Amino acid sequence: MKSLLKHLSPFAPDQSGAVSALFDFGGLIVICDAGGCTGNICGFDEPRWLVRRSAVFSAGLRDMDAILGRDDKLVAKLQSAMDGSGLKFSAIIGTPVPAIIATDFKALKRMAEKRTGLPAITVPATGTHYYDRGASDAWLELFKTFATEKHPVDPGTAGILGASPLDFPALDAGNLLSAALKQDGWKTVKCYGMGAGLDDVRAASAAARNIVVSPAGLAAAKYLQKTFGTPYEVRCPWLPEQLLDALPPLAGEKTLVIHQQFAANAVRDAIMKLDSSSRVDVASWFTMEPEFMCENDFHIESEEAFIEAASNGGYGAIVCDRRLRAALPRTRPFHIVDFPHFAVSGRLLEEVQ
Amino acid sequence: MNHAYSITAADLAARGRDNIPPELLSSANLIYSSPATLAFNSPGAQGFGVKRAGLAVPGSVMLLVAPACCGRNTAALGCEAALAERFFYLMQDDTDIVTGRHLARIPEAVKEVCDSCAERPSAVMICITCVDALLGTDMERVCRKASDYAGVPVVPCYMYALTREGRLPPMVSVRRSVYSLLQPREKVPSSVNILGFFSPLRDDAELYTLLRSAGVRAIREISRCADYEEYQKMAEANFNLVLNQEARHAAADLQKRLGIPSIELARLYRTDKIANQYRLLGQAIGAEFDDAPYRERAEQAIANFKNNFGRRTFAVGEWLNADPFELSLALIGSGFAVSEIFGTVGGSNFVYVKKIAALSPATKIYSNLSPSMMFYDGKDAACDTVIGRDAMYYHPNLPGVPWNDERQPFGYAGVAALFGELAHALSAKEAAR
Repeated sequence: MKSLLKHLSPFAPDQSGAVSALFDFGGLIVICDAGGCTGNICGFDEPRWLVRRSAVFSAGLRDMDAILGRDDKLVAKLQSAMDGSGLKFSAIIGTPVPAIIATDFKALKRMAEKRTGLPAITVPATGTHYYDRGASDAWLELFKTFATEKHPVDPGTAGILGASPLDFPALDAGNLLSAALKQDGWKTVKCYGMGAGLDDVRAASAAARNIVVSPAGLAAAKYLQKTFGTPYEVRCPWLPEQLLDALPPLAGEKTLVIHQQFAANAVRDAIMKLDSSSRVDVASWFTMEPEFMCENDFHIESEEAFIEAASNGGYGAIVCDRRLRAALPRTRPFHIVDFPHFAVSGRLLEEVQ
Repeated sequence: MNHAYSITAADLAARGRDNIPPELLSSANLIYSSPATLAFNSPGAQGFGVKRAGLAVPGSVMLLVAPACCGRNTAALGCEAALAERFFYLMQDDTDIVTGRHLARIPEAVKEVCDSCAERPSAVMICITCVDALLGTDMERVCRKASDYAGVPVVPCYMYALTREGRLPPMVSVRRSVYSLLQPREKVPSSVNILGFFSPLRDDAELYTLLRSAGVRAIREISRCADYEEYQKMAEANFNLVLNQEARHAAADLQKRLGIPSIELARLYRTDKIANQYRLLGQAIGAEFDDAPYRERAEQAIANFKNNFGRRTFAVGEWLNADPFELSLALIGSGFAVSEIFGTVGGSNFVYVKKIAALSPATKIYSNLSPSMMFYDGKDAACDTVIGRDAMYYHPNLPGVPWNDERQPFGYAGVAALFGELAHALSAKEAAR
């Protein structure tokens, strides 16, 4: 059955992606749920929550709130929490509950802005999609809301779009990505979501180029290109050291790489650089942008499809989060090269090392 | 809002239980999600939430029928508790959550799950979430259909976070679910069940010895049942001892279905009240308990602690194996001070607030869930020792104990163990200086 997971547990959902994208910008984040979704996000999908205090709240919805659609009550609670807090904006993130009762997030945004006098962002996540979609929607809304002015372009400044711990499983991934770009000659790098602040978002049009490091950053990059003419390129400038060290034995082999598409493409490039006769296919459970796919790349539709591809695809090695090994037959050996993906396993590189 | 809201016990008691300030009511505010609150604010987040609790039935597996987001953290539960192989997920998509069409797939999914297990499961627990609460799903009917199709008992577990403050909160409902598979058996007069927790009492709990001294031969707890047959023997019980009021509904169901009456005991830390409770239990079952040696041991542990460490001032949290207000009252009554309580004030514990107000009117009461706790910095706190995992989060540099082990403390042994652990923590802190 396509929707049945017998070996793996579900991956990070869209509301987690939305919170991850907005976590670093000093806003008040309200997850429009009864408590469980917030527990999942904070307790599992947002590793930064454990190391610093953050304004992430549950709306604390109860059955009658959902039945009666009491948006006014939610906005009143939001205002009460915002008053005097010094927080710069509010964000309301959807979950299955507002999806079922068809909450009007546009109206909610207007109500919140009117009541608080501050910008509000809404992301109508449903909990049925994966994190990349929620993150993509959140980043797009963030830039649409705050990056409204055209600034003079600084030729030495690059922006990084699409970075979050869900895709780059290290608490200092923002620094690592930025450092890699600085080695390429950029003087100033703004890693949105992992280091850059709200003022950097406001001045996003000053970047000479945006580097899109995951599919979740692509919609925002296209928006900035369309609005300010900022060009973008898709590439992942940093991969974990221990992963790069494990790649040489794969040279010349037929290898399957499973991760978020742009990071997986970077792994492919690294293997091909070692031996151009290698055959490397990229697959992902998450968004696969057609324009960045090669001939044999594919989207993983289900646990069954993954087992079939990994077992019968003739691959000598699989580069993926080792958590995926749990789905593969125990009776057969598989050469797994571990590439942690927080959205899959909730593992940080810090824990792996 | 730029400081953490608190109210003194005296002011709160003066307002009365019907006039609790809105700052302390979770329904009046957004709910702050800090590491201090996560375990008890989310019915599936940590510890024994609905998911893990539902698997208390020996040999059972769980099929979570929900959007992917609801099952996300289960990976962490599985890793920690070696339960991963007992969880399965039927994920709902956008159309499912609006139309309910996923219900038709459940029988087949249950069969596929059973067929994939190396050993046939004793039961399949179906965990459903807010989605089906809002759809109004008749899950009992769906489970009967699945049971007929797959040939295995299928039981619903309602992880309805939306109903947390309703008549049947998730953790009350799941307790009924895990005992619902018990089938009628002939009663064995010397058999007793302990209901209330999903993990056993500490082995040193005097309750075991006292019950045996009254002629009880079999004391069963679901977490100690080695297999499904042992679990079914719980239906033989002469009576159920309910140690957590969240099991009251399950006990009432067992009385109705299997004719097993129940007696409720509370987890207390005031030794005189523990003694009183045992006396009443003895009267109810026609026995006289000799609990004096256990009481003496507990009171000696308190005295030793006081001799060694003086009259400490405590901060008491609510993420722990106690009612924070009853525990605070016990500490104050034993000659200690309590400067802060992080707790949820409600109808059942307001009586303790009033007693605390009489003895320690300046004790401050905070709500863990208040958005204002984002600004709590503890700078003005007078405490020097903390109890509770949440209190330890607020005061990371103070000595203390989380006191939230899965093995459940109870009675005098619980009191003695608490002061033993506190002594150990304080000694370790002093040694580290």
